[in-house]
Amino acid sequence: MIRKYIPQLIILAVIAVAGTIASIEFLEMHHPEPLYPSENLTEIVMLSNYSEGLKGTNADTEIFVFDSGKPGGTALVCGGAHPNECAAYLATVLILENIKVTKGRVFVLPRLNKSAFTCTDPMEGFPQFYNIETRNGTRMFRLGSRVTNPLDQWPDPLVFSHYPSNQQLSGFETRNINRAYPGREDGNLTERLGHAVLQLINEENIDISFDLHESSPEVPIVNVIVYHEKNEEIAMGAVLGLEMQGQNYSPELSPDNFHGLSHREWGDYTNTAPFLLETSNPSMGRIREATTVELVLEGKSKFYQKAKETKALRIAYNEERGEPIDHRVARHVIGVNELIFSYNMLQEERTIEIENLPDYMEIMENGTGYYLHDPMEPNHENKQ
Amino acid sequence: MRKLLFRNIAVAMFLSVTFLAQGQKFESPILITSAGQSADVKLVKLLAARQQLEATTVLMAEPSDVEGVKSIVIVPGFSSKGLGAAGISQEEEMNRVKELVNLANSKEIPIIMVHVGGNARRQGQSDAFNELIANNSKYMIVVAQGDEDQFFTNIASKRGIPLKVVEKIAETGEPLANLYQ
Repeated sequence: MIRKYIPQLIILAVIAVAGTIASIEFLEMHHPEPLYPSENLTEIVMLSNYSEGLKGTNADTEIFVFDSGKPGGTALVCGGAHPNECAAYLATVLILENIKVTKGRVFVLPRLNKSAFTCTDPMEGFPQFYNIETRNGTRMFRLGSRVTNPLDQWPDPLVFSHYPSNQQLSGFETRNINRAYPGREDGNLTERLGHAVLQLINEENIDISFDLHESSPEVPIVNVIVYHEKNEEIAMGAVLGLEMQGQNYSPELSPDNFHGLSHREWGDYTNTAPFLLETSNPSMGRIREATTVELVLEGKSKFYQKAKETKALRIAYNEERGEPIDHRVARHVIGVNELIFSYNMLQEERTIEIENLPDYMEIMENGTGYYLHDPMEPNHENKQ
Repeated sequence: MRKLLFRNIAVAMFLSVTFLAQGQKFESPILITSAGQSADVKLVKLLAARQQLEATTVLMAEPSDVEGVKSIVIVPGFSSKGLGAAGISQEEEMNRVKELVNLANSKEIPIIMVHVGGNARRQGQSDAFNELIANNSKYMIVVAQGDEDQFFTNIASKRGIPLKVVEKIAETGEPLANLYQ
């Protein structure tokens, strides 16, 4: 009798094992990797402190505050708005783990959309994790999704109508934090997150703010600094300064009729000078090969190589170097540094002075991992 | 042999034009404008201001903006964000630029092309603007990265237009100012 059901039982057992493994892997995404803020950390506050609507949700996230104690301006550095854009997140982690503020304050928000770190994008075949070698051990980081986890916000509408402009986009974008600003206190989770970020900027008088991103090599808005029209002088000064360091960034003016984005709404609804930086990441592109960890980190793609050689597309892809993670992280770090420098040039009192961040050549020579905290030292006093 | 001779003559002509161009002068007031609505025009505006040039910057210059102007500096380069900010399509921008170029030519107002966008403002949708402005310019200043494939050098050579290639964006201000001294 039992023999009759053996094939079915085997199939059920295989499904159970596969399901258990998949569940364990999926739940792993809900365990944030430890971060090790530099010794100059002043305090950690939660984003929900600025908007009650986030409290107890998977979108509530840590803000690391570095206060020099010396009066000056305040900067906000955000990574992880789109957790599939790993160089943006890693650059923020590098800043978090090294920064020393000698004038003014710097707020670092590495996991802007924390919910989006808990899943990957369906049908994209992204790895869930990647490793970075540090000076004395390996650290594992999560590679998340572009948008809020559907387990936290579901279902998507057929058409997303942005609040308050009523601009209409694909329903999928309803979970995209960089289409949700200025957000609203009683909106969906992503809108509440957007609202909380604006509350933070307003309540803390953030003078200059950064939203770090990556995009596909074939997208026109890549290797750029996007600026709000009120901050043109800062952007242009930084573009020239970065060029002197051997790195080209294209300035891009934020369109005033494209709503929901940080460079538009942070600038419109607050007094901050917002800047969005994009690097080129072949693992996000439409013509990429299998999305492996190697592609994510080394940024070498045979298909983008071919596209570059045939000139089939105008792409931001370096055929010799590829677009490796160190290059992408370095561009974000020096971009933030130079924009703060350019901002300071136009200020008298509310300047921000920071130290201890590596330059482009240092990151390229030593690697990003060299500047990340050693995971073998478990008793780091600021471990989070 | 004959091919080599022609090539040498062409190079000699180009070099002589470039040499003559060292002394080429233009007059103020200057209108600085964009072709393709990239924000590169703001960089040129900043560099011109640092050189204390008498210039007005109008992103989407119309025929009325040319009144009283004695030279036009056009910064070519396509930007989808720039067009979005301007609220126009690529075709509308191209039509505006063509109209401006035709007006400048008919009024004999010289056009100086300044291309500072490097690779990012080459090929794709940018080259239609680059080609139009380069072909109609009386002088070109180009940041080297934008001319790695000799795109501008070839136009300059073919049409006998003086070309100044600089390494960095910050270096475009000085040769631009020299044209007005």
